[in-house]
Amino acid sequence: MSNQHAPELLRVENLCQYFKSTKAVDDISFNIKKGEVFGLVGESGCGKTTTGRSIIRLYDITSGSIYFKGKRIAAGSKSYKDAISGARREMKSAMTQRKEELKAFIKAKQDEIRKARYDHENADKLHADLLIREVEERYKPLLEKASGEELARLQKKYEYDRGVAKNQRFTTQIQMIFQDPIASLNPRMTVYETIAEGLVIRGEKDKAVIDEKVFRVLEMVGLVREHASRYPHEFSGGQRQRIGVARAVVMEPELIIADEPVSALDVSIQAQVINLMNDLRHSLGLTILFIAHDLSVVKYFSDRIGVMYYGKLVELADSDELFKNPLHPYTQSLLSAIPLPDPLYEKDRVRIKYNPLISHDYSVNQPTFQEVYPGHFVYCNDEELARFRAEEKV
Amino acid sequence: MYKILQVNNLRISFRTIGGKLQAVRDVSFHLNKGETLAIVGESGSGKSVTCKGILGILAGNAIIEGGEMLYDGQDLLKIEEEDFHKLRGDKIAMIFQDPLSSLNPIMRIGKQLTEAMLLKGKARQASSKRNFDEKTALLEKYMLESDPMNADESKRMMNDYKQMIMKFINRERSYAKARDAVSGAREEIEDLLFYIEKNALKKPKEQLKELRRLVHDAKDVFVISDKENHLITLADSLAEGLGNQERAKDFTPLKEKLLQLRQGVADIINKPVPDLLPMAYYSYRNNDRELTGTVEENNIKYIDYYESEFARKFLEKVEKALDYSDKKHVQLRENAIQALRGGVETIQNGGVEAFKPVAAGIYEKVDASIEPIMVIKDSAAWTFSGAIKGFLKMYDDGLKNNEKRVNAFQRKQEKHDRLIAQGKDPGWKVIPPAVVDMDRVRADIQQQMVNLADKYQAMNIQEPHENKHQKAVQLLAYLNENAAGIVNKVTQYAAKAKAIKLMEEVGIPEPRQRYRQYPFEFSGGMRQRIVIAIALAADPDILICDEPTTALDVTIQAQILELINKLKKERNLSIIFITHDLGVVANMADRIAVMYAGKIVEQGTAQEVFYEPAHPYTWALLSSMPDLDTKEKLEAIPGTPPNMIYPPKGDAFADRNRYAMEIDFEMEPPMFDLSPTHSAATWLLHPDAPKANPPAVVVERIRKMKARAEVNSHE
Repeated sequence: MSNQHAPELLRVENLCQYFKSTKAVDDISFNIKKGEVFGLVGESGCGKTTTGRSIIRLYDITSGSIYFKGKRIAAGSKSYKDAISGARREMKSAMTQRKEELKAFIKAKQDEIRKARYDHENADKLHADLLIREVEERYKPLLEKASGEELARLQKKYEYDRGVAKNQRFTTQIQMIFQDPIASLNPRMTVYETIAEGLVIRGEKDKAVIDEKVFRVLEMVGLVREHASRYPHEFSGGQRQRIGVARAVVMEPELIIADEPVSALDVSIQAQVINLMNDLRHSLGLTILFIAHDLSVVKYFSDRIGVMYYGKLVELADSDELFKNPLHPYTQSLLSAIPLPDPLYEKDRVRIKYNPLISHDYSVNQPTFQEVYPGHFVYCNDEELARFRAEEKV
Repeated sequence: MYKILQVNNLRISFRTIGGKLQAVRDVSFHLNKGETLAIVGESGSGKSVTCKGILGILAGNAIIEGGEMLYDGQDLLKIEEEDFHKLRGDKIAMIFQDPLSSLNPIMRIGKQLTEAMLLKGKARQASSKRNFDEKTALLEKYMLESDPMNADESKRMMNDYKQMIMKFINRERSYAKARDAVSGAREEIEDLLFYIEKNALKKPKEQLKELRRLVHDAKDVFVISDKENHLITLADSLAEGLGNQERAKDFTPLKEKLLQLRQGVADIINKPVPDLLPMAYYSYRNNDRELTGTVEENNIKYIDYYESEFARKFLEKVEKALDYSDKKHVQLRENAIQALRGGVETIQNGGVEAFKPVAAGIYEKVDASIEPIMVIKDSAAWTFSGAIKGFLKMYDDGLKNNEKRVNAFQRKQEKHDRLIAQGKDPGWKVIPPAVVDMDRVRADIQQQMVNLADKYQAMNIQEPHENKHQKAVQLLAYLNENAAGIVNKVTQYAAKAKAIKLMEEVGIPEPRQRYRQYPFEFSGGMRQRIVIAIALAADPDILICDEPTTALDVTIQAQILELINKLKKERNLSIIFITHDLGVVANMADRIAVMYAGKIVEQGTAQEVFYEPAHPYTWALLSSMPDLDTKEKLEAIPGTPPNMIYPPKGDAFADRNRYAMEIDFEMEPPMFDLSPTHSAATWLLHPDAPKANPPAVVVERIRKMKARAEVNSHE
């Protein structure tokens, strides 16, 4: 399904998200290609939801950068600051020549901090400016040519479009679907209001346009027009999750972050929602970051899968490859824990236990995130890397 | 293996603003001792309601419309709240879905664990004493009556038996405590050595203290005797010079001592086990003296002495007593059968009114026919009079109020219609009346009597010729258990020790430290372990698990499931496991009941349901879940479950069923038996129905599973 050569839509570089001393996400890097589904799995508290929320900028990230469609949308400065204070410490005892080097180094890092801050704060504004310029350029020749009544009409249309462009945010192209369909819908808003809210905030004032979009999206997710005036409590769990999907899709996003969208649903309803998301993905060409802990669903839905453990990304590979050939001991342990609907198999299934202290010896050689073979990354040290490659040859 | 719990024709409804919601409709199942029964179904299918009914914690607006739940000679649907206190948490415990909301946030974990133990401890001690005294008195009485020639001997033996058991249980307890401490010490040593090896020793002082405590706890005549006293000295000396070692980051001296201790502990663990029961008897008969010599030699001598002096004869006497009791009750049962048959005739000819005057006579005969010495209470007889009284009450209620209710309903309905006709919105709905079905009550009473009479007839033919040996052994085991309950006094200290042991058992590291923490300091998986530990605190017979792992992730889920399976094996628990995850079901279940819209639609052993599913709903469930090989589009079940305020006519699943036939919309299918253990309620199994095959996905999956099983069996 995935296209090897598809352009990259999202790139996460050395993302760190610390809450006080808790390293919720610690130095992870991955990219998502256009049109693919990227699964993120791991036990609760391993940082997969935090990763999703950092990407959509619900948190200010501590360190690292996030690029969306080639532009930096979020950046943190901790790594630069650490580098600077390291250099300052060294400077105290350094030779003159070395001192000059360090000074230049500090200056470069300070520039980077400034740049990161600028990008982080202005990503949306830059995008809006770009759109405004586009609108201006489009209307300029038209306005020059027109006159009289035509000019007044055009002027009005121009101002409206410019207003919409001004309110555009770059990050609305990333949307999120939440886990709990009950908690994530406002009980005092009708379905119509819930779905239209994002459009209104974006500056859409034309009721006809909003109506058209909302009704189209409702039909897309398998609800009907009549549902628009109802309240969330009048729907079943599966239908509520459909509303959540509709709310995300109406913004015409390029990337959807689906945070455990089916975990809270019944089995028979789960399949409906998964099928719906699959259909939308193909018909709208969506890219999805799929966060879940049900491995069978992730395997079914994703093209590539990243496995997280305590804030680290420990393995990343194509989903078939990952399930066929898991390398990191944690991934092996995770896969061995999946219960399958097969009593005879379950009787003999042996779970592999994972204890980092037993599985790894990192006292000498520190681990990094390395590519073992094309497309298959593992968090390991050189010794383990050599071992994985040797095993592959055998 | 016997049926520990039996649910027959259970019907539960809820009174709601919209009307009467039929949550459980005619559900029957049973739970065997020591097995896991999984109840599968989507939310609203009535699985949780059924289980809450077992525990007597249904919501206030629930109406129990009929049926029975038989457990230990009681019908759980009819007993009083006061009696339920003795069962709930004690005999039947529950693990809830959400561990966070089932723990008290402002109470320390330790307190929550010991609270129930302390509260129940006293009551349990009293009831154990009562049970023990009652049964021994009965046994003595029967012994004397069955063999009046040797009355003195019987009396003496009974006395010997009581004294010996008390002695044995005291001894057993201290021995078990010491054994546990030794195996705990072994774990601790291995742990310490592992971390020293890895150079990652974190809190050596605390760990050594713990180890020292364990070794001291192991002081027992048969575990660490005076000869092994050097081990205790060794354990005491472990912490010497620890500070220096820590500073130098060199734990070699500690390691050497630990290795010595490990050897010592291993020797103790391999020591032969003394046979405590015969020993208790010997020391009782010989003024607390015990034999000197090796354990093996002594064991043989003790057993010989015990067998020849006491055991063989005693068991014979018990068997004889049981046989006597049986013979005596054959006649009483015969009387009861006659009374019951008479009652059936009366009710058939004259209706309930004619039956009322004779009812008291029947109760008396049935109550007299119950064998009080039996350990497993034969539920049908024990609950008979209660059930009939309940039905009669219902009948009277119907006589008095049915008409009133119908009238009130009609008045309301007319008013409602009037408003509608005027074009107004009434803003309220008419709740249908709760009318007692008089014919059904009559039929139920009759059925109860027929059932019991049939059962007694079968018993009378069978029982007198049975070998009583097994029953005698069972009775003695029951007595031992209750005697243990008398000796076992739950003090604050004992409760804490037990709580910590439980926490260890459910896999919580550093239980001593965790004991003093609050629930918010635990992760989701750990919290669920605490909930399991609380449920197990009272040694329940039946454990109800209501989606215990739905809120947890795979690794933790796997740990919890392993834990429940382990505990089931160790304690011979009977488990009812509610879930909608078929993977989990495959892992846990011995038998499976699939529920849909308040009914059991398929029931069978795990292998039957997974490899030969027969109901279209089971097929749909199996095909709507992706497994690791699924590539094609999932076959979702279309639509949503029906609204049970207005249950559909015919098969409730027909609307969402691709295989539905015309009859499915007309009539509810009965249960068709596929094998003695496997049955399904679908018209597709009717001999006249067209042949229907499960969806291709399911067929393919089953083929693959079977192939995999074959490969595994060859390996």
